[in-house]
Amino acid sequence: MNNEIPVQSLGPQGEVMAHAVDACVHCGFCLPACPTYAILGDEMDSPRGRIVLMKEVLEGELPLADAAPHLDRCLGCQACVSACPSGVPYGELITSFRGWSEPLRERSPFDRAKRAAILKILPAPRVFSVAARVGQYAKPLAPLLPAALRAPMDLLPEHVPAMQPNARVTPARGRKRGRVAFLAGCAQQALAPNFNAATLRVLARNGIEVVIPEGQGCCGAAALHTGARDEALRLVRQNLRAFDPDEYDAILSNAAGCGAGLKEYPVVVHGLEGEERARAFAAKVQDISEYLGKLLREGDLERPMPTSRPLTVAYHDACHLAHAQKIRLAPRELLRAIPGVTVAEVPEGDLCCGSAGTYNLEQPELANQLGVRKAGNILSTTPDLIASGNIGCHTQIQSHVRRQGSRVPVLHTVEVLDLAYRGEL
Amino acid sequence: MTPEKVASTPGSPARGPRSNGVPDSPLAAELTRTLGPKKVLSARSERLNYRYDAIQFGETPLAVVLPESTADVVTAVRAARAAGVPVVGRGAASGLSGGAAPLRESLVISFTRMTRLEVFPERREARAQSGVVTLSVTEKARPHGLIYPPDPASFRTSTIGGNLGENAGGPMCFKYGVTGDYVKGLEFVDEGGEVHELTRDAYDLAGLLIGSEGTLGLITEATLRLTPPPRYTRTLMASFPEVGEAAEAVSAAIAAGAVPSKLEFMDRACTNAVEDFLAIGLPREAGAVLLVDTDGDDLETVEEERALVEAACLRAGGTVRRAATDAESAALWQARRSVSPALGRIRPQRMNEDIVVPRSALPDVVREIRALGDASGLPLVQFGHIGDGNLHPNILFDPRRESPAAVHDLAHEIALVAIRHGGVLSGEHGIGTMKRPFMREAVDPVTLGALWSVKHALDPRELLNPGKILPDEHEDAPHAHP
Ligand SMILES: Cc1cc2nc3c(=O)[nH]c(=O)nc-3n(C[C@H](O)[C@H](O)[C@H](O)COP(=O)(O)OP(=O)(O)OC[C@H]3O[C@@H](n4cnc5c(N)ncnc54)[C@H](O)[C@@H]3O)c2cc1C
Ligand code: SF4
Ligand code: SF4
Repeated sequence: MNNEIPVQSLGPQGEVMAHAVDACVHCGFCLPACPTYAILGDEMDSPRGRIVLMKEVLEGELPLADAAPHLDRCLGCQACVSACPSGVPYGELITSFRGWSEPLRERSPFDRAKRAAILKILPAPRVFSVAARVGQYAKPLAPLLPAALRAPMDLLPEHVPAMQPNARVTPARGRKRGRVAFLAGCAQQALAPNFNAATLRVLARNGIEVVIPEGQGCCGAAALHTGARDEALRLVRQNLRAFDPDEYDAILSNAAGCGAGLKEYPVVVHGLEGEERARAFAAKVQDISEYLGKLLREGDLERPMPTSRPLTVAYHDACHLAHAQKIRLAPRELLRAIPGVTVAEVPEGDLCCGSAGTYNLEQPELANQLGVRKAGNILSTTPDLIASGNIGCHTQIQSHVRRQGSRVPVLHTVEVLDLAYRGEL
Repeated sequence: MTPEKVASTPGSPARGPRSNGVPDSPLAAELTRTLGPKKVLSARSERLNYRYDAIQFGETPLAVVLPESTADVVTAVRAARAAGVPVVGRGAASGLSGGAAPLRESLVISFTRMTRLEVFPERREARAQSGVVTLSVTEKARPHGLIYPPDPASFRTSTIGGNLGENAGGPMCFKYGVTGDYVKGLEFVDEGGEVHELTRDAYDLAGLLIGSEGTLGLITEATLRLTPPPRYTRTLMASFPEVGEAAEAVSAAIAAGAVPSKLEFMDRACTNAVEDFLAIGLPREAGAVLLVDTDGDDLETVEEERALVEAACLRAGGTVRRAATDAESAALWQARRSVSPALGRIRPQRMNEDIVVPRSALPDVVREIRALGDASGLPLVQFGHIGDGNLHPNILFDPRRESPAAVHDLAHEIALVAIRHGGVLSGEHGIGTMKRPFMREAVDPVTLGALWSVKHALDPRELLNPGKILPDEHEDAPHAHP
């Protein structure tokens, strides 16, 4: 698609955007992959349509406010990237566009306050934990609240667990085979502290020493993908300071969204100071399943104990693992490595569950429709367990599966492995 | 949920025109009144997205209707006629001849929400509304032991309405035929807003609508023929040092009596573009590659046919690789399906041809086209359902680097090669606007006159997809540029 985007006036991010627009041949191969197109059935809410909208805005042909509603509905799930044979870097385009356009948006004071609150609360585990508890107690009031406030409450688990601080260094057990840095995550620490606990146990059991570097913060993905570029840059710089890539074999994350965010650092600082360091850093970043999967393939993963009875595990591909990081095989292999486990493929597996970072809060109706569809598809495999590798998917799926009357446990892939090691599956 | 119709945020500092979200044409206002706001798009940001297909950008439509039923289509067509506004039908806009891109300010009727699909296994039939995605017909029929064979490379995206509009083919068409061979009947809305149900008895009017690119009527539903899938399929890939040798192998294999279910061809530029994208080990140095499936219910015959093809390929100077597993053959076919968009990595735009020539002429034709491409200095690639004599020479270009006039001239010369060898301008992608300028050379004046008479009988006011297929009656020279 030819563009006349005034690249010079847009800076380094302008180059990124112009390149993506040019690469699109508007073949439409991405349409069937897009969740919002699947639900709304119109071109403006498809990847191809959104690329055209962004191009028109950047070229000055269309007011931003006219394109915004359709761009806001994009989940950033990157299913279109997996589907696109022309290699259009849609993820980079929409992220850069959101960063560029946010300062130009006119938002209502309520909208601004909500966004600011989300971006403040999400990355701060302690604040989040308190907010979640307050929300939990306020839950009975939910029906009285406006939709924008109700949505986040619907997602809270019935029981918000207590925060569990993690040791700064978790030593390897047995022969030490590696040393990794771990991104402890933010909201996840409050909502699902066992994700981290299980991760540390599994790594230690496999002879890996884990360091949680001090001074680390939120990965910045939420800020970046909602267009709060300055805030994102601040967080990126903070983490680049906290993690010295030379000190570790790998930098691990157990949240697909965060891992994808860390791998994006070179794009964020493209053309700015620190690009070099960001590249070295990103080269070391791995998802926990990617890292353990490699151990498994090399025959270095300690064998999990067999399950007490045959178990069907429905594995849900988090968008930020499958599409953004192209990790599909490793988590399945890890689950299959547990004797007694069969992995079930979920119908429409590539369609986002609707969680997508802050999407649940910003587009509650679409998020809800996708959640209902995802839960139905997962339950159609009659699983004994549901596994995924992302906190956002986890809460969304759990909440919708429960609403459809099922009590099937929803776990992180690494929790399943941890249980298997302990003979509790 | 109801999609928001207008921007939720007030004006922005972005430059350029502004819209206020109010239907800005009387037609849009009228349609919104009769069909309700959910089915009508009138804001400019929305209409902008209905001006293109996979090859061309056209005029921004005055309004867009997203009908949910035949009755909605009738309402929309009547309103457009009353307003004297042309009507353009649109499926997934994956068309490669500009068919769904409006040339004038029009009403676009986009069928993507008309997706009702029923399968009647006992009759081996499916009834599909026009917005049904092609692949989903087979997906829904498969549990009943049936498939829908027409398989354009775009089958995950394209719609049944668009397939009928273009009479789409696909790799399977060599043995199993094209879309039109699987249509038992169809329902369409004419220019006056009347609904017709056509079968293929008496005058084959259904056949007339198939491939008419929305210029004779709007197809709303179709009854499709389903078949049981063959029990066995075998795949092979052959690579050749030179492009003409691949074509010779095709002629020889078919002359020897093989009827492969798929027989596809990719030249070096294609294999390399796909390899850049998929990295599945295609032979980068080969001048051309053939991909062949033989199939049937009797394994011995299927293997015999594969052996015939293999022998022909070896005699023509090729190297043959058999797909050992289903996964391997799936990968090879994915490679073929990815050709078209993978080419976008080379240049942002392309002029895409869709010629069909007699099989005996294939070696000469592919060599002549290769030579034209080399002489022009423009990136030119060839691929296609070569078993049918169907070739897709594509000229890749970037209008900022290459002159559109040079591109057009090369396309014209390629069209002339086809015509000189007794071929035609379109096998499956339609004429649309892209190949309309060459129609005068391909079709004699008397026949063109007859085509115009048919058009006028069904569309006297020329309101249905004007400017497509048929060159203006009063013009005589090809002139339009891509
Ligand atoms: C990468 C790629 C690969 C392709 N491979 C093939 C291939 O192998 N074989 C092949 O044949 N084609 C192929 N195509 C071309 C294209 O996919 C087909 O022409 C397809 O049939 C178009 O379907 P659509 O739903 O996208 O229709 P559109 O592009 O939306 O419309 C096509 C034409 O049909 C008309 N139309 C649409 N719906 C209706 C209706 N309901 N009633 C009347 N007229 C209507 C439109 O006005 C237009 O003229 C390919 C395209 C791409 C991008
Ligand atoms: S699949 Fe890729 S090239 Fe095709 S329309 Fe989508 S983004 Fe553009
Ligand atoms: S990122 Fe997801 S929601 Fe957004 S356009 Fe791509 S497929 Fe659609």
